[in-house]
Amino acid sequence: MKLPFSKLRQRLSQPARLPQWFRTPTSPDEPRVYGFNGERDAIVSEVVERITTEQGAGSLELLLSETAHAEVMRLEKQKDDEAREGLSFWRGLLRNLGKLDADARRATLAEITARMAGDVAGNFDPRVYWVARRVVPRVIAGVINPPALVREVFGSGRGEIDSMITVEGATAQLHRLSRTGTLIYVPTHSSNLDSLALGDTLAREDLPPVVYGAGKNLFTNPITSFFMHNLGAYRIDRRIRAALYKEVLKVYSTVLLERGYHSLFFPGGTRCRSGMVERKLKLGLAGTGVEAFTRNCLRVQGGASPRRVYFVPVTINYGLVLEAETLIEDHLKETGQARYIIEDDEFSRINRWAAFFNKLRGQSASIVLRFGRPLDPFGNEVDDEGNSLAPGGRVVDPVSYVSRGGVPCLDPRRDAGYTRDLGQVLLQRYRTETVIMSTQLVAHLLFRRLVENTPGLNLFARMRRRGEFFVEHEALVQEIGHARDRLLELEVEGELHVSPFLRSESPDRTLERALSAWSYHRKTLVRPEDGKLWIDEPSLALYYQNRLVDWAEALAVGWPPMTRRAAAEIQRLGGHA
Amino acid sequence: MSSHGAASSSAPERGSVGIIGAGPFGRSLAAAAVRAGKTPRVYSRDPNAPKIEDAVLTDDVASMASCELLLLAVPSEYAGALLERLSPALDGSNFIVHVSRGLVDDHLNTMSHLVRRTTPVRRLGALAGPLTARNLSVGHPAGGIVGSAFPEVIEATRAAIGCERLRLYGTPDLVGVELASALTGMLLFALGYARGMGLSPATLGVLGTRGLAEMTRVGTTLGGRAETFSGLAGVGDLMAALAGAPRPEFAAGLAIANGQAPNEALEEAEGHVESDQVALRVARLADRLQVATPIADAVGALLEGSASPTEALDRLMRRRVDRE
Repeated sequence: MKLPFSKLRQRLSQPARLPQWFRTPTSPDEPRVYGFNGERDAIVSEVVERITTEQGAGSLELLLSETAHAEVMRLEKQKDDEAREGLSFWRGLLRNLGKLDADARRATLAEITARMAGDVAGNFDPRVYWVARRVVPRVIAGVINPPALVREVFGSGRGEIDSMITVEGATAQLHRLSRTGTLIYVPTHSSNLDSLALGDTLAREDLPPVVYGAGKNLFTNPITSFFMHNLGAYRIDRRIRAALYKEVLKVYSTVLLERGYHSLFFPGGTRCRSGMVERKLKLGLAGTGVEAFTRNCLRVQGGASPRRVYFVPVTINYGLVLEAETLIEDHLKETGQARYIIEDDEFSRINRWAAFFNKLRGQSASIVLRFGRPLDPFGNEVDDEGNSLAPGGRVVDPVSYVSRGGVPCLDPRRDAGYTRDLGQVLLQRYRTETVIMSTQLVAHLLFRRLVENTPGLNLFARMRRRGEFFVEHEALVQEIGHARDRLLELEVEGELHVSPFLRSESPDRTLERALSAWSYHRKTLVRPEDGKLWIDEPSLALYYQNRLVDWAEALAVGWPPMTRRAAAEIQRLGGHA
Repeated sequence: MSSHGAASSSAPERGSVGIIGAGPFGRSLAAAAVRAGKTPRVYSRDPNAPKIEDAVLTDDVASMASCELLLLAVPSEYAGALLERLSPALDGSNFIVHVSRGLVDDHLNTMSHLVRRTTPVRRLGALAGPLTARNLSVGHPAGGIVGSAFPEVIEATRAAIGCERLRLYGTPDLVGVELASALTGMLLFALGYARGMGLSPATLGVLGTRGLAEMTRVGTTLGGRAETFSGLAGVGDLMAALAGAPRPEFAAGLAIANGQAPNEALEEAEGHVESDQVALRVARLADRLQVATPIADAVGALLEGSASPTEALDRLMRRRVDRE
């Protein structure tokens, strides 16, 4: 049975790629992903093979029927070319399914799976990676600071872009582990810039690039599309609800991990709307790490050690968030009405990018990327050699976690249990690896004052109290000093981290830095007037301060009861951590 | 690094069962395991503990790691030190299922939290519900619930002690089972106390029902599922006790209300009682969580001596009445 997709649609869905002239062959020392395109067909075939052979004959009809029904439902709403052509195929399948024998059903499943896997599978072009790594940061730096264009583009340094991102944490350990195992980066997710910031940081730190799943909307974003198509991203079409499609994504991810492709997943699923550190994780495809490791265990013979899989928690901490206004607005909408996919935010507008980067210019260290110590798939820490460590520091064999009676075995239900537990460990890690930025602290103190002045009001009523409350400039500077000292104590206790500028600058300068950063936003968060700072946009104050909800009470220790009550109320915004 | 092509010689045998703790409940678990056709290894800290027929008794805690499934039947206050001694012998191939009705700290963390913090074991579960030592020992028809995110842990527990006369249900809601078990113990303590005060069965009915609502509120705030509290770990346990099943928490509450000193009453209860600690911990944390816990508050006040029985009852009765 032929799939009747039009040539036009196929052409439109083809990624924009560079011609293959002058392409150099990959060498064994290069990162694994450099050879991805050579393996692409084999990977797709393996996905198809695994799904078709592991699908029991008895449930084949049910699976095909469920897939066809789900696709018909989706396409009937879509009403475009893809819908018209796809609908005739899926409806035809539904009509004829009863007449197909077992072999024909299996062949149909293989064809559908191949189509889905082919659509998902990404592409990696080392030349585009070279350009992205060396030229793009200089061009962006040049665009935001035209006088420096010549120096940036032709100079040897990476200039202003590098100064915007500070990297902290376990990078030396990651170098070692990336050679012996497969790394799965699992960062917090605040902005669509996250994958770019992480990708750029890995390149800068000379760590191998990663493959990652990205929403199909990012492949059509005019700014990012070309790079998404050429830097190892694979496409996830969130509109497709069929269980088979989810299985294809899962198996594709598992095969990549087994083959040693370092990967990136955002376990929060989508950008955090509230500005808080993630409170709940979906993990989703990140859960394929356990199965990939188990399959590695099953594959090894004769005393060899299976290739390890490591999860790397990362916090991406922004002093200024490109899409803050849209995100907090979405967060404040009633539950259930929030949009899972936002396609029309600041991320898709070039003028907002320009304004954003312009603001970051001169605000060095506006983004802090912090790599936490890696974990095995079972939530154990690993040492510098990649050994899993039990509580107390003893080395423990990770294979024991996927074994019964000493024999490793596949068990998806068990793996789901491990993945859920790993999610809890990651939440804890995100908390302790969070880096508090100047803007977040200042916003917290402003918001605390707003809560203090509006006892008994609910959050939504407070959001409407625009421009009604102020903090005296001098008083705020004093509070910043106290709160900063308290944060430094919490840092010593291992509760969180403090950004380099917040740590070293005077409270006055911290306030200046925050006010200057916020001027990027179209809405005015705070308005200085006659020695007072008026809170004009409580929702933005809420967004930035939300990063601190877990420590609100700790920051209010020693303050009057009214302030402590406000802090307790803020802490409850985060629920039970 | 080890080879994984064949079974590791040091790995615990599939289906092997160990019981940690040879108190009344530990011994009854051993009896149930023997009835299920197993030869359980039972750890007792007392080298002279009475023998258990068809079981292997040991005072070497590290040797328990040779069992795949470990049923942990020691009070939560002693579990930490014991697990630290056992931990070096364990790895990811062991399963641990505990029967504790206690909570391990003021944040209402449960026993599974303690096991995760002190050992490399991740396949964890909790056994709860209206199971009594006597039912397990004698083999009366009974039922219980195993909470675990790992279906293989539930299946291993069924295989270890389940039989035609012991129905063990399963749920992935481990923390819900643990909290339901601990909070039901606290509620039974309150009900025992109320009975001791001479309150009528109708009053006990109100207290029990509102207590169930209270523990469900606390439990769901801490991550449990509401349906777990209306299942065997919550309602099932409560109904058994009210129907007359011997429960040390109920007996301790009754004795204290009848004038016995709390320390004495808790010591004399037949079985380990942790509900006093649970009540105090719930009362302390509830304010921070913004969860109304009037019954835990009343039990806490009684135990701390900050309210007389009449005052505690008055406080409960004077609360604003709202929708159920």
